[in-house]
Amino acid sequence: MAMKTGDAFEPKQISDQLRESLPDVYVDDLLVTLKYFIDEEESHLWIEEHEVCTRCEHKPCLYFCPVGVYTLGSDGKIQVAYQSCVECGSCRVACPYTNIGWVLPRGGFGVAYKFG
Amino acid sequence: MSNERIEFDAIVVGAGLAGSAAAMVMAREGLNVALIERGQKPGGKNYFGGAIYTHAIAEVLPDYQDRKPPFERPVTEAGFWFLSQTGLTRMTVQGGKLDTEPADAYITLRASFDAWWAEQAQEAGAFLIPKTAVTDFIRKESGEVIGVVTDRPQGEIYAPIVIICEGVNNLLTQKLGLIDRDLEPAEMALAVKQVISLKPEVIRARFGLSGEDQGLAVSVLGDVSLGLPGMGFVYTNKASVSVGMGVMLDVLAEYRLQPADILQRYLQHPAIAPLVEGGQLLEYGAHLIPEGGYKAMPKLYTDGAMVAGDAAAMVNALHWEGTNMAIIAGKLAAETAIEAHSRGDFSQRVTSRYEDRLKEGFILKDLKQYRGFSKFLETHPQFMDVYPNFVNDAIGQFFTAYGKPKQELFKGMLGGLTDRRSLIKAAGDMISMARAVMGW
Repeated sequence: MAMKTGDAFEPKQISDQLRESLPDVYVDDLLVTLKYFIDEEESHLWIEEHEVCTRCEHKPCLYFCPVGVYTLGSDGKIQVAYQSCVECGSCRVACPYTNIGWVLPRGGFGVAYKFG
Repeated sequence: MSNERIEFDAIVVGAGLAGSAAAMVMAREGLNVALIERGQKPGGKNYFGGAIYTHAIAEVLPDYQDRKPPFERPVTEAGFWFLSQTGLTRMTVQGGKLDTEPADAYITLRASFDAWWAEQAQEAGAFLIPKTAVTDFIRKESGEVIGVVTDRPQGEIYAPIVIICEGVNNLLTQKLGLIDRDLEPAEMALAVKQVISLKPEVIRARFGLSGEDQGLAVSVLGDVSLGLPGMGFVYTNKASVSVGMGVMLDVLAEYRLQPADILQRYLQHPAIAPLVEGGQLLEYGAHLIPEGGYKAMPKLYTDGAMVAGDAAAMVNALHWEGTNMAIIAGKLAAETAIEAHSRGDFSQRVTSRYEDRLKEGFILKDLKQYRGFSKFLETHPQFMDVYPNFVNDAIGQFFTAYGKPKQELFKGMLGGLTDRRSLIKAAGDMISMARAVMGW
């Protein structure tokens, strides 16, 4: 049952009916509610090798990241908006190629939940 | 001066529920404790449902009620809601065993609760070091942990014992070799939540609560997670509600789904939308829950260090437990650290007593018993669609006067199940569920 990794990663599909029932949320509308202390000097997230992402056919990081950190640039490269990260760790664990570098933001930086 | 070694009797990494509990217990016994927190202040990185259990708080802080804990509401009604596509069946309990003073559990928000919890540790004498991330350990050649490296300049801090309460992303625990692998997506639920403002009188009316001294906490099954392994929840705060859901991370990756979309769909469900209508979004957030259970636990101790809370996968997903395990594990690790100091021995000979203490209580017993549960939902998707739909249809039909003989009605109700899943398979599901819960 475990998720297949690397080139063996297999996407699955929910039914069209369910797919149609999914609203398309503009995540930025949600992010305005979050408070961040943004580290302007260094990113705590990075792509290890962009070549690997090019080879990654299905790019699940574009979807499962709950705050939409990962987007596809016009140059076809994955772009990393680390400023929006809530440090959940999903991308570190679920990238099929373990190609996302992930460390904690430096002390004091990153998301600061007001409610939690 | 700057070359002088910074030394404490004990270091706690992370001022969450486990960490501040550990710091509180050790400081109270006179140990000089450094409580290191990477956030601006304790609680800023934490996001949960959720509720906190008083049995755990009282074990660490018996006079907690006099110390004005920032509770939102007591849990006076708890249970399950089953959602079909358009319907909602509620199975909740109120009064009875929930009618106690203090309540068994209180709905809380972590930014305020964890800040208060860490203040109690500070009052006991622990030294809080916020805005500081621990990046590594200082170890003797023999491997024994004797301190931590932080991301501050000259940030080495020494202590003969370190309690690691770093949370779900247990990179330090991995660094110590207490677990020889990273987390697996299939062991993690990614939970997302919206905190939505509602006036107390609106909460009262919509959720059938008599006042601010009553609160609702429910797990929501069914048309929440697109039939995928996952679960929703609703908690009433004082002047807001927390509505969220968790879905297994491997599933979100494989189906390439944005969790915020699934949460929005759930919030738009015809039975849920009226509950939050007119409310304003106060905060959205996400957190991983380590649901791998017993099999995903690291070794809990080594020479000079112990691990507690989410970092050690101490979560019982079915019963919403985790916060209580974290608090009690923090306390037991602290007691072990105190014993180590009194014996002057910080090796595994003494730190292994932490595991003995955990075995004597409920934590390791429960985690062992529920070791099959996280796999269970993954292999039994019918609990996310067939059964919630059946319950809604069956009860709906029971209370509908069709002008037909009742015998036909009952046949129709049963057909509502057998059309979807044969009785033999349904019986098998029940047995599987019992096995997952009872640990057979």
